[in-house]
Amino acid sequence: MNPITRRRLQHFRSLKRGYWSFLIFAAIILVAALAELWINQRAIVVSYDGRLYFPTYASQYSGEEFGQDYPYEANYRALKEQFAAPGNPNWVLMPLIPYGPDESVYREGSFPPYPPSARTQHYLGTDPLGRDVLARLVYGFRIALGFSLGLMACTYLLAILIGCAMGYFGGWFDLTGQRLMEIWTNIPFLYVVIILASTIPPAVGAPARIGALLAVMVIFNWIAMANYMRTAAYRERARDYIAAARVIGAGPLRIIFRHLLPNTLSIVVTFIPFTVVAGITALTALDFLGFGIPPPTPSWGELLQQGTNRLDAPWIVASTFVAMVVVLTLVTFIGEGIREAFDPKKFSYFR
Amino acid sequence: MRAYFLRRLLLIVPTLIGITLLVFAITRFLPGGPVEQALLQGQMAQGDSSSSSAEGVGLSPAQVRQLESYYGFDQPWYLAYAEWLGQVATGDLGQSYRYQIPVTSMIFDRLPVSLYYGLITFVFTYAVCVPLGIVKAIKHRTRLDGITSIIVFAGYAVPGYVLGALLLVFFAFQLEWFPTGGFVSPFFADLGFWGKVWDLVRHSALPLICYLVGSFAFLTLLMKNSLLDNLAADYMRTAAAKGLSFRRAVFRHALRNSLIPIATNFGNAISLFVAGSFLIEKIFSIEGFGLLGYTSLIERDYPVVMGVLLLSSFLLLVGNLLSDLLVATVDPRIRFD
Repeated sequence: MNPITRRRLQHFRSLKRGYWSFLIFAAIILVAALAELWINQRAIVVSYDGRLYFPTYASQYSGEEFGQDYPYEANYRALKEQFAAPGNPNWVLMPLIPYGPDESVYREGSFPPYPPSARTQHYLGTDPLGRDVLARLVYGFRIALGFSLGLMACTYLLAILIGCAMGYFGGWFDLTGQRLMEIWTNIPFLYVVIILASTIPPAVGAPARIGALLAVMVIFNWIAMANYMRTAAYRERARDYIAAARVIGAGPLRIIFRHLLPNTLSIVVTFIPFTVVAGITALTALDFLGFGIPPPTPSWGELLQQGTNRLDAPWIVASTFVAMVVVLTLVTFIGEGIREAFDPKKFSYFR
Repeated sequence: MRAYFLRRLLLIVPTLIGITLLVFAITRFLPGGPVEQALLQGQMAQGDSSSSSAEGVGLSPAQVRQLESYYGFDQPWYLAYAEWLGQVATGDLGQSYRYQIPVTSMIFDRLPVSLYYGLITFVFTYAVCVPLGIVKAIKHRTRLDGITSIIVFAGYAVPGYVLGALLLVFFAFQLEWFPTGGFVSPFFADLGFWGKVWDLVRHSALPLICYLVGSFAFLTLLMKNSLLDNLAADYMRTAAAKGLSFRRAVFRHALRNSLIPIATNFGNAISLFVAGSFLIEKIFSIEGFGLLGYTSLIERDYPVVMGVLLLSSFLLLVGNLLSDLLVATVDPRIRFD
């Protein structure tokens, strides 16, 4: 690790707000990554006839394997109640929240949405389809974060390539590129995403839809980053080390990837958290409008939409709001910390 | 300098053409356009649900062609675009497919709503952010700075419409302190003057909170960082050396220079006419400019889509130019050529 990077890391660690946000956010990601173990309709451990079963990550067990009379997947919550009868040697260990994100639960004599209740273990209540809000929040967070990171990776790849090329080669390539980018930036982004997203036929499966959504968002998101990279490459190009590399006989590709990029990457790093926030926000807005990831995939935008349609179920909007505030604010704090850690400027005081 | 701004002014035209051309072309190649919708409506009117294809059910090819020519879809897209452009040059934005009224009047109906929210947000943002930024810069890295930073960043991170959803559920629906939506009440016209004011205030309190919370972060941090830069400038050391008090040095020297970046944002105030996030307007069912663009898009009302796009991007481009012009006027060090 080179000394500059080490100093930046030290500086980042000394910034309390950013560093603590980073630790908390890392913990949240870890917990969410293991969501199957604590929010799931499948049991963690089933002990049946002296054998142990671990259904969480395994292929599904049918009800017949546990002595039930149905061939589809075992209902572990019912199984637990059944095994709990006195004298039954079998037992079931259920996750903390024994509901899956896509699982509708209906109670007799009433209709969902059900309010939060510790007794039914719907700690944040259910949505109008009887699905657990907490489960959907956590699984939706995983999807949104994964989508946002994927979006960031693709966007940055495109932006860095085009931006560096424009800055390094300059000339007509740069000029045409700038004109096109000017037009591109003035087209309202959400607008075109909605036009295009609404034309994908509903028959297309979820993975293909997510891919298409990702592609459209990449196409409209790379400009800002490309502009920064262009300016950075433009500035670096005039430096002596680039001239030296060229004199040695390095080709443009080698110069861009081996010399130019490593010296401009610090700009990229300071943008990452803000790009993640923007990605999650954009996806949530699209889901809210119904143009994002298709149902029944859990998502914050869908929860918001259900919450605003059912004003009598305030727990849906309130839970989603708190989740969004916590996650987005944490990431913003991390971003602010990184930016300050990477800023060589020191303020002097007049007192 | 004058040549530069003249050139920029002229460049607005090709950029606008580029933007509208692109969106026009996209709307042309999209399925679900007005002709298909009319066909589908005809199909549903006949109660013929047996055939799944929207193609020519119950309509003769001649009728379909008539429909196409009615919506201007019978000619290639570039000719249709040229025709639209010629219309726009005479100040006519065409007629809405759906409501059969001129697009210009639809847009003008929405402008007061946007202007109302835009102007109040604008004034409040400056009134709060400039003093707050100054205080934060002077008290940099103190407890006050830290606490206000947390609030400002949380406001920046959370989208306004999400906050809107929360406010709507608790303060409008559960507590019934505010109405659940709309710009004014249906019986607005019957109210007296103060009744009208009170009605407007009650309807706009929650949406305004949403607009304000999101807009604070940018301006506050701009003000703070700009003043911080100037506090560390050499002329401040000179001011200290010649014995100026802290207060005089900050307010006479540093503050004046650090207001320059703030002033430049005034140029974009021209976009206030079309301000309004369609997400916030959707949450509170406010019939504003943003919602007009959104619903026209959903309804495939392309003349309205194009009109909204043209007006908002024109104001955006002019606003950017005005901002640059302001920078050059306020700060003599900056030169464009």
